[in-house]
Amino acid sequence: MQNSEELKWALLIASLAMLTMAFCMISFVMYYQKRRFEEEKRISDIEKNYNRLLLDTALNSEETERRRIAQDLHDDIGTMLSLTKLSLNQLSKMVGNSGNEKEDQIMKKSQTLVEETILHVRRITRDLVPTTLERFGLMEAIEEFIHKLEEDNNLAITFQANTDDFPRQGQKLELTLYRIMQELVNNAIKHASCSKIDIRLEINDQMIGLKVTDNGVGFDPEKIKENNLAGLGLLGIESRLAIVNGTVQYEKPEKGGASAFAQIPMMPVSDSKPEPLHPFRRERVNI
Amino acid sequence: MFETLTIYFAKKPVPCFAVIITLLPLTLIFVRKAYLDPSFKLLVFYLLLKFAIDIFMVHSAALQKNNIIYYNLSIPLYYCLISGMFYYKLSGTYSRKIVVYSMLVFSSFCIWEIFNANSNIRDLYNHRAVLYSKTIEGVLINSWILLYFYELIKSLRIPNLLNFPFFWVCSGLLLYYSSFIFIAPALHYTATWSGSLDLGVTRIIPYIFEILSAIMFSVGIYHFSAADYAKQ
Ligand SMILES: Nc1ncnc2c1ncn2[C@@H]1O[C@H](COP(=O)(O)OP(=O)(O)OP(=O)(O)O)[C@@H](O)[C@H]1O
Ligand SMILES: [Mg+2]
Repeated sequence: MQNSEELKWALLIASLAMLTMAFCMISFVMYYQKRRFEEEKRISDIEKNYNRLLLDTALNSEETERRRIAQDLHDDIGTMLSLTKLSLNQLSKMVGNSGNEKEDQIMKKSQTLVEETILHVRRITRDLVPTTLERFGLMEAIEEFIHKLEEDNNLAITFQANTDDFPRQGQKLELTLYRIMQELVNNAIKHASCSKIDIRLEINDQMIGLKVTDNGVGFDPEKIKENNLAGLGLLGIESRLAIVNGTVQYEKPEKGGASAFAQIPMMPVSDSKPEPLHPFRRERVNI
Repeated sequence: MFETLTIYFAKKPVPCFAVIITLLPLTLIFVRKAYLDPSFKLLVFYLLLKFAIDIFMVHSAALQKNNIIYYNLSIPLYYCLISGMFYYKLSGTYSRKIVVYSMLVFSSFCIWEIFNANSNIRDLYNHRAVLYSKTIEGVLINSWILLYFYELIKSLRIPNLLNFPFFWVCSGLLLYYSSFIFIAPALHYTATWSGSLDLGVTRIIPYIFEILSAIMFSVGIYHFSAADYAKQ
């Protein structure tokens, strides 16, 4: 009987030990799984941040490069052209005295050519760096952009904002919105064969929204993405938005055309002073 | 018959409750449509078989008949059904193959052991429980569970295990078989007609964990969502 009593205890203890092990195993699996998940999430967060930084840097350097080209164009070619114009003026005075009709004509032609070139260079520099945006803000810049487009297309472009004085935003935000607007309008002109484009800017406490609607042929963003038809434009919009945590949605309004709605969460305005154009400043530009 | 059952129930409430609670996960499987998953389909068969065998055993016990033959026969059947569940859940082709082979080998071993433990197989009155089979079954099933846990951790597919039905099923099985591994061999000596040895409280432990595992099955099945399963 002594023996069986001992056996019972041994069995009891062995079973309890086995059960404890099972419990530990289950808790361990749960705990370990949770830990692994947290770690994985942290790594993916880091990766995402890193990618964002990379994109940010790429866009920054693109913007810096534009600025540099604009600066060089303005300072070197612009100056040379001005000097050329001056010399031509002097020459024309000298030639004008001689009274040769043919020479006179060539002189005039050269002068107008130089003047036109000066205008072109100025336009190109201004296109490269949206100075209006930096000086006067988004509303002015968009209006100027529309104005220029309306001049040489017979297009009706309307622009509305939900406030009259749109508060200045961080440089980066403004530039992002401006470039997106540019691309969307350019797309509408290039692909939609539309007669009307509507740009709408909305701002509230949390979000800035930009909506560009056209009445053209419309397109299916899903199909474009699936078939790898997206050019640099739509991809660029997405990568620009990714940096500022923004989103974009494409819709197909019932009455035809296409509409894109980009939204960016508000950021605290940081150092919105525009960077002056200066040839020797090549450091990072805050977009 | 009903009367004898109720008397027996009053005499041994815990084992009887362990039988009846099997109905809980069984009904839940049909309510939550968990049978769509092949593993849970096997769980249905397992639970049905278990319920039937347990009822037979209780009935025989209530009538003072030897019911060990049911217990012996249930071992290979349970093993095939449960390891079949893991056959569907494990992802490694190699481990799946081993599961299938283990079913064949283990079933043959079980049959052999039943004959081995009972020199006169026709003598149901003195039929004895097998010595090794139940323990081996427990060890094998626990290994499949641990293997499955290992795959689960490695693949990182399930964000929250507490919502994952099969994790609950595994945990229930793990606890039940862990509680039974050491007690099963003792039954060979104690569960005899003339046996003088009584395990006492120790014998109750597996029943308690049988109940617990049925409850854990139910919790797991409760988390089963047919819509989610269709999505996978
Ligand atoms: N407003 C629109 N109306 C109709 N189709 C459009 C419109 N905007 C974009 N698309 C379609 O989406 C495609 C992708 O546009 P996306 O701006 O990415 O490239 P792209 O304009 O062709 O080239 P890129 O912008 O790089 O010069 C276009 O080829 C065009 O078919
Ligand atoms: Mg484009």
